[in-house]
Amino acid sequence: MWAQGGVTDEDKLSRAQARTVIGRVFKMAAPFRKTMYTAFICVCVTTVCALAGPLLVRRGIDLGIRGKNPTSLNISVVVYLAVALVAYIFGRAQFLYLNRTGESFLRVLRLAVFRQMQRQSMAFYDRNKAGVLVARMTADIESMAELVQFGLLQFLAAGMLVVFALVLLAALSWQLTIVALLVMPILIAASVKFQRDSNKAYLAVRERVGANLSALQEGITTVRVIQAYAQEEETIRKFTKSNTDLFKSHENSVRVSTWYFALIEFGGVFASALIIGIGGWLVHRGDVTLGTVVAFTLLLSSLFDPVQQLSQLYNTVQSAGAALSKLFQILDAKPEVDEHPGAIALPTAGELVVHEIDFTYFGSDKPALQHVSISVGVGEKLALVGPTGAGKSTLAKLMARLYDPQVGSVTYGGIDLTMATMTSLRERIVVVPQEGFLFNGTIRDNLRIARSTATDEEIDAAIGAIGATEHFATLPDGLETEVRERGSRLSAGERQLVALARAALVDPAVLVLDEATSNLDPGTEAEVEHALERLMAGRTVIVVAHRLSTVQRADHIAVIADAHVAEYGTHAELIAKGGRYSALAAAWQKSQVTH
Amino acid sequence: MTSIESDTEVATRLEFEESQRSEGWRLLRAALRMQRRNLLLGALVGILWASFKVAVPQMTKYAINDGIEKNGPLLQWALIIGGLGVLTGVLSGMRRYIAFRESRWAEMKFRERLFAHVLNLNIGYHDKAQTGQLMSRASSDLMQIQGFIVMIPITLSNVIQIIAVTTILFITDPILAIVALIPLPFVNFAARRFSHRIHPASIAVQAEQAQLANVVEESVSGVRVVKGFGAEQVQFEKLEKEADDILRESMKAARIRSSFMPAIDVLPALGLVAVLGVGGHRVLNGDLSIGDLVAFNVYLTLLIWPLRNIGMIVALGQRAAAALVRINEVMTTKSEIVEVAQPKQLPMSSSETLGAVKFDKVVFGYNLDFPVLRNFNVEINGGESIAIVGATGSGKSTIARLLLRFYDTQSGHVFIDGIDVRKLKLSDLRQQIGLVFEDTVLFNDSVRNNISFAKPNSNIQEIERAAKLSGAHDFILQLPHGYDTVIGERGFSLSGGQRQRIAIARAIVANPRVLVLDDATSAVDPSKEGEIRDAMKTVMNGRTTIVIAHRPGTIALADRVILLDDGKVAAIGTHDDLVVSNARYREVLANMSTVNAAEKAAN
Repeated sequence: MWAQGGVTDEDKLSRAQARTVIGRVFKMAAPFRKTMYTAFICVCVTTVCALAGPLLVRRGIDLGIRGKNPTSLNISVVVYLAVALVAYIFGRAQFLYLNRTGESFLRVLRLAVFRQMQRQSMAFYDRNKAGVLVARMTADIESMAELVQFGLLQFLAAGMLVVFALVLLAALSWQLTIVALLVMPILIAASVKFQRDSNKAYLAVRERVGANLSALQEGITTVRVIQAYAQEEETIRKFTKSNTDLFKSHENSVRVSTWYFALIEFGGVFASALIIGIGGWLVHRGDVTLGTVVAFTLLLSSLFDPVQQLSQLYNTVQSAGAALSKLFQILDAKPEVDEHPGAIALPTAGELVVHEIDFTYFGSDKPALQHVSISVGVGEKLALVGPTGAGKSTLAKLMARLYDPQVGSVTYGGIDLTMATMTSLRERIVVVPQEGFLFNGTIRDNLRIARSTATDEEIDAAIGAIGATEHFATLPDGLETEVRERGSRLSAGERQLVALARAALVDPAVLVLDEATSNLDPGTEAEVEHALERLMAGRTVIVVAHRLSTVQRADHIAVIADAHVAEYGTHAELIAKGGRYSALAAAWQKSQVTH
Repeated sequence: MTSIESDTEVATRLEFEESQRSEGWRLLRAALRMQRRNLLLGALVGILWASFKVAVPQMTKYAINDGIEKNGPLLQWALIIGGLGVLTGVLSGMRRYIAFRESRWAEMKFRERLFAHVLNLNIGYHDKAQTGQLMSRASSDLMQIQGFIVMIPITLSNVIQIIAVTTILFITDPILAIVALIPLPFVNFAARRFSHRIHPASIAVQAEQAQLANVVEESVSGVRVVKGFGAEQVQFEKLEKEADDILRESMKAARIRSSFMPAIDVLPALGLVAVLGVGGHRVLNGDLSIGDLVAFNVYLTLLIWPLRNIGMIVALGQRAAAALVRINEVMTTKSEIVEVAQPKQLPMSSSETLGAVKFDKVVFGYNLDFPVLRNFNVEINGGESIAIVGATGSGKSTIARLLLRFYDTQSGHVFIDGIDVRKLKLSDLRQQIGLVFEDTVLFNDSVRNNISFAKPNSNIQEIERAAKLSGAHDFILQLPHGYDTVIGERGFSLSGGQRQRIAIARAIVANPRVLVLDDATSAVDPSKEGEIRDAMKTVMNGRTTIVIAHRPGTIALADRVILLDDGKVAAIGTHDDLVVSNARYREVLANMSTVNAAEKAAN
């Protein structure tokens, strides 16, 4: 990997947090607890086998060779062979069971986090950047996959090996164990220092890798501008700097590990020198056997290697802990807009009434709407106009319950939207955003987003209802055309048509439209206009308007300024009044006259 | 592969890949030549390390035979072993440092060259190339190569170590050596097989992860739609399918790991068993000393890692070769826009206003079979402003791209101030043309640097003047850090209109003799548009301006209008004349915005 696991200080978990995280992991892993325990047993068996080898060599040397007893030697050999076989079988099993446990856990985690993300309200999506949410579901969980595949096994095995090896060494010879342990404090101190330094170095590498990748991507995607302004040299110079920075951070991270691995290698040989020197002297004194000394030199690596592995894995485990803790935060976030326990279905028709609402976006100290009241009758068309950021889009969103007001209420046919079932709410009120957002799949699939149970006939009918049958028939695969990523195969106008057809498929009583600020390609613009008109016919419509023509077609106009309704009336009334609206209409007209 | 290939096709393909591969290796050798000295040093250090490492068990053997068994001088042997520990420690550190440093260095240089090369490739190439593909050339493919270079010094010392150990074992006891070494080649074999099989499996896992990422990405970006229609369950089911796929592919990979890894761990133990069994009896028979037996054991353990590594490096090398082939493909692509050997200079002064543009019998299409412009002729005087009007796909934007020489014409010529654009140095040409793109591209950098992009050393007065003219100054001052605000950073976002105004300021700073506005004010708030239009008059004064009009409103900026139809100039004249005289012009205008037309009629 480009960058290994590293944890920033703020991400480091406290002991209590770590305990909570571990507890929750076990709770989530409950459905496959059996697999987990089996895996654990397998790890125990293979660890014991790994340690049994040197012991059998010792037995062979002491009893068989030095004791001049060929049978005893043969027994040692046969047992050793059996142990190797057992190690192999359990080694395979431990891989399978551990991976199954880990991957199943990740699957459960993915599903749980995604479900929870989907339950959240729009406010949640405002607070959290899209990129961060995607990263939680992808990079964060994938970073744990590596741990699941190798790390977990190594971590468990290494931990067990240290404990078992120590116990075994002490049982063989307490004198030699003390000798072996003389080296341990240095090794542990070095490992702790390495773990800290390398964590810092990896973090630096990760940051620079990110910067380097951004520079790379920016260079490639903006190549037209760069070439148009003949700035290739300057851009390459800047990139080279970021590239060199990355190299330096890599170099630093290598330097950190260099001395550590050198020390580890030296420590291993030095310890065997000690064991042979002091062990030999103990053999001379008759305190220990030669076999024990040999077994010790073989077992030393069982003691040192795991310590080294643990210190390297520590970073990975820590960053996995940090990632888990963030994911659990998402799982704990309570959705703001949720179905009330005693929710009822909305009536098929009714007046949409906004009553004295206040609304402030999360993290903002300025209210987006204050004391706003407005009502839209059945089949009425209301245009919301006003300066950018004055609250007209917010009002539209509240009228479709994308958010709940902090004060006041929005009712439909006399029923508070917060008391309505989600299903009925979405059948009555449909929001069509500024730009048609498409998902991977065919055009048909994209319509089914609106109603997953819709038949092909119903979809054809919806397309027909907005008068786009002919248009989509001209596409190579008609409605079966794959729209590719984000609908990149379709024009902006065609995407908008799909969005409108979705609304037609739901056949709602109320439409909430956010009019596009920029123009579509002239060809499809007329078709979209036409489709909109057909869709709006006979429905209650609330439109966030940016164009005079749209406003003129509305029954009523509300000018939203400074978080409240500044003016309300028909086009003629407001023009006559000579207030904000008439000024805005004049500005619009001026910009659209061509000489 | 689903496509069916005939034998000859396969042969040709293999031959092509083979030639690409040797080409790739040549690229690698050439790249590494610069670092030859350090790499040799790394190899030397590795060889020294290997010889000391091999000496340790030998000394252990003497210590046991002489020191322990025969009651000889223990301290001396212990000291020698300790000394070897110091040497192997230092050398192993050096080996590691050199290997990693050099590989990272090579990676850095490769990436630099790749980036510079890609940035200079013609736009036609970039139209076809996918950003993701180029990104992976410069990231994951280079990682493969880096991973291979790291292994070069390590492999060398591993080979030395294997040779030395085997030699010692055979000298000590040939029969025992044969018995002990039998299982070890299997370690190498298993490691090689493993690397081969695990690679496609982990690629498959990654592919599934990418698919899941797609579902998450679209669900988050399209959350309004998902929520608006209550499509949570639909998306959840898509995700569940992808999560299941990941689990399935991961378990496939796990099965491959489980069938190799334990075997790789256990095989060396078989050698140890053989040594204990056969060797033990040989000691009992007096054919072998007990120290030799122990040394044998230790030597066998010394062989495990090198054998595993060599097994892996074969696969690593193959992957690196494949990556090299891909990188080489990019590096050998030549830009189709070539500068002439002796470029001409643009006139710096003239009796007439500079910036005259002429298209002479230009034929061009992005695809040879579908010409966009066919026999396009137009002469624009220096300082004139002209609007190009035409239906979607009529080739309006293409004109700007040909002028900038993003593409070369198929036939015909483009002149600026009387000189064929092909005769000019690209940078000279492009510095004289300021293009404001249809889709505004800004850099992830401060507002100041974005505006001064074309002239990185411009002073703040120039920058502010440009921003004022484009109507950007006022809102820039209101940004959190004014002109130092970094665009694209969290906390705020610019509206489409604001971005366009910054892009216009960027073109103004370049002070070009030809300004091209490609639908440059489409996203500007209508109430602001008039204001910008007035300011633009100042900028356009004395400067050739080509306005590519996607909307009737922008036509107002120009003196003359060209109606582009069917790849040719269909009509040319003032807006007022054309409206009266040309039916096609009225039709195109009407199509541009039925809404606007309706409004005009109403007024």
